[in-house]
Amino acid sequence: MCDKPMSKMSKFQVKKLFVYLVLSLFVIWTVGPFIWMVSTSLKHYGDIFTPVPQLIPRDKITGQVYVTLENYHYVIEMKGLGRAFLNSLLVTIVVTAFKLFFDSLAAYAFARIRFPGRDFFFFIVISSMMVPGVALLVPRVYITRLLGLYNSLWGLIIPMSMSVFDIFLLRQFFLNIPVELEEASMIDGASRWDIYWRIALPLAKPALALVAITSFTWHWNDLMWPLVILTDAKKYTLPLALALLASGQAPRPHYIMAGATLTVIPIMIIFLIFQRQILEGISITGLK
Amino acid sequence: MRNNSSDLLQVTYPQSKTILRWCQRSRNREWLLGYLFIMPLIVYFILFLLYPTIAAFIYGFTSWNMRTPPVWVGLENYKKLFFDRVAYPYFWHSFTVTLKYVVLAVPTTMSVALVIALLINSIRRMQTFFKVCLYLPVITSAVAVAAIWRWVYDPLYGLLNMVLKALHIQKVNWLGEPAFVIPSLVIIATWSLGSSMLIYLAGLKGIPKQYYEAALIDGVNGWQQFRYITWPLLQPTTFFLLITGFIGSFQVFEIIYVLYGAGGGSIGGPRQSALTYVLYIYNHAFRYYEMGTACAMSFILFIIIVIITIIQFKYVRQTYE
Repeated sequence: MCDKPMSKMSKFQVKKLFVYLVLSLFVIWTVGPFIWMVSTSLKHYGDIFTPVPQLIPRDKITGQVYVTLENYHYVIEMKGLGRAFLNSLLVTIVVTAFKLFFDSLAAYAFARIRFPGRDFFFFIVISSMMVPGVALLVPRVYITRLLGLYNSLWGLIIPMSMSVFDIFLLRQFFLNIPVELEEASMIDGASRWDIYWRIALPLAKPALALVAITSFTWHWNDLMWPLVILTDAKKYTLPLALALLASGQAPRPHYIMAGATLTVIPIMIIFLIFQRQILEGISITGLK
Repeated sequence: MRNNSSDLLQVTYPQSKTILRWCQRSRNREWLLGYLFIMPLIVYFILFLLYPTIAAFIYGFTSWNMRTPPVWVGLENYKKLFFDRVAYPYFWHSFTVTLKYVVLAVPTTMSVALVIALLINSIRRMQTFFKVCLYLPVITSAVAVAAIWRWVYDPLYGLLNMVLKALHIQKVNWLGEPAFVIPSLVIIATWSLGSSMLIYLAGLKGIPKQYYEAALIDGVNGWQQFRYITWPLLQPTTFFLLITGFIGSFQVFEIIYVLYGAGGGSIGGPRQSALTYVLYIYNHAFRYYEMGTACAMSFILFIIIVIITIIQFKYVRQTYE
């Protein structure tokens, strides 16, 4: 196709080419800042401030191309980002595990077990989705204090350990599992717990994966809640530590970009592994 | 569904009587089990959803710093917020800033997202590649986004100004000039249009192909196709994005906090030009410890969001019934 002369290309093909060109521009616009971030994080301080943007780290004087990891070393060791990384990892994993278990438990009960007041209670719980989280911030901090969880990692985990939206999502999924499957095993003498644990949960794997990925992304990135709950710098999560690093007055983008790269990379890896599920999930649920 | 299947059981299986009896006997146990399964939710719901909602409402009528017991002041907080320009000089200002941001950011993001969705929908190859790339900013932490853009917007060595210089356009002090603050934030919002794009793409996939085939036979051109088929049929998607976009960007906080707040100095940006409503709530709650006032402001926010949500429900019912 390429060896055909331009004049022989149909109008249709020119159009297609144009579409790809425009989309590529959008991709450059979107991905560019990330590349710039990584590039800056790999430079020495002296080579950051150049009159012309230098994508590849190049020594100002000798003109030699290099890569340095000393900015990473500095923010991890000196600025506490290493510890913050571990704190974030711990909190995110525990919150996600809690959410998967407790949300699916409640969702299963709402979908399958019959008990008085079930639908009424489900309605009440679902209507709480309307309340914006920010509006509940102050009383939530207060009750977290009353529970003795203020300024602790548990204070990040327990108040975030369930999600009404996830319950809603999982309930829909459980409702779509054929009842006959569960009844058959009930005849065989399986208990409700067995059915939930051995039949419903394995069948709901796609929905659980979606819950896990959104929960991981959300809590890994969250700034607001750690900001109001933590005072001790040793307990800071990664976004909080990065916010502190980024807010300094002196221009030190090399450190900030190293910190930003550390924050972004784990999520990007997860995203690239699970991109199919994530992209499909968003299209289905309209999740943001 | 369940009733049907137990009828079915009765017909098909001779031992169905035994099963029914088993069900009867175990009904009480089933109830108990149901409550047991939702027990964590009940505790969580009361502690972290029900109590905070009621408390946010009640504490709005008190003067409270979270350390000493709250003092009842009636409607004082609301009165002061609405009318006392000395005690709360920026209350209405924060509304204006937020509305300006919302009115600019939501339509801009949506229209660019729609254009991209249309482009991606029209190609066969590399769809996933474009989707993945354009979705990256959405999964990025707001703190990292703010940090990255602060560096891109840097007045002297920022990428953007260097590109402008190469194009012989005047340099701009993006984050420092009050007039440019909101547009700069809107650009960041537009940068992360990935989720709107995906939702539009899902909407486009839902339009039956027959319409376009029929239009092709009638000799309709591209613009007419968009104007009379795509756009009207995308209306529910557009409306959904408008509402969720409004609710989401009305609560914008984290990016602005990192760009202007965390330093501790002039929180709210140059001449308070980035003081959005939630940042204002945050300042009063966690900087000045005026929890009562913060609760009153939270409750106002809650009312706004509820009204918008009700409008959405009304509209959705209208379109689908």
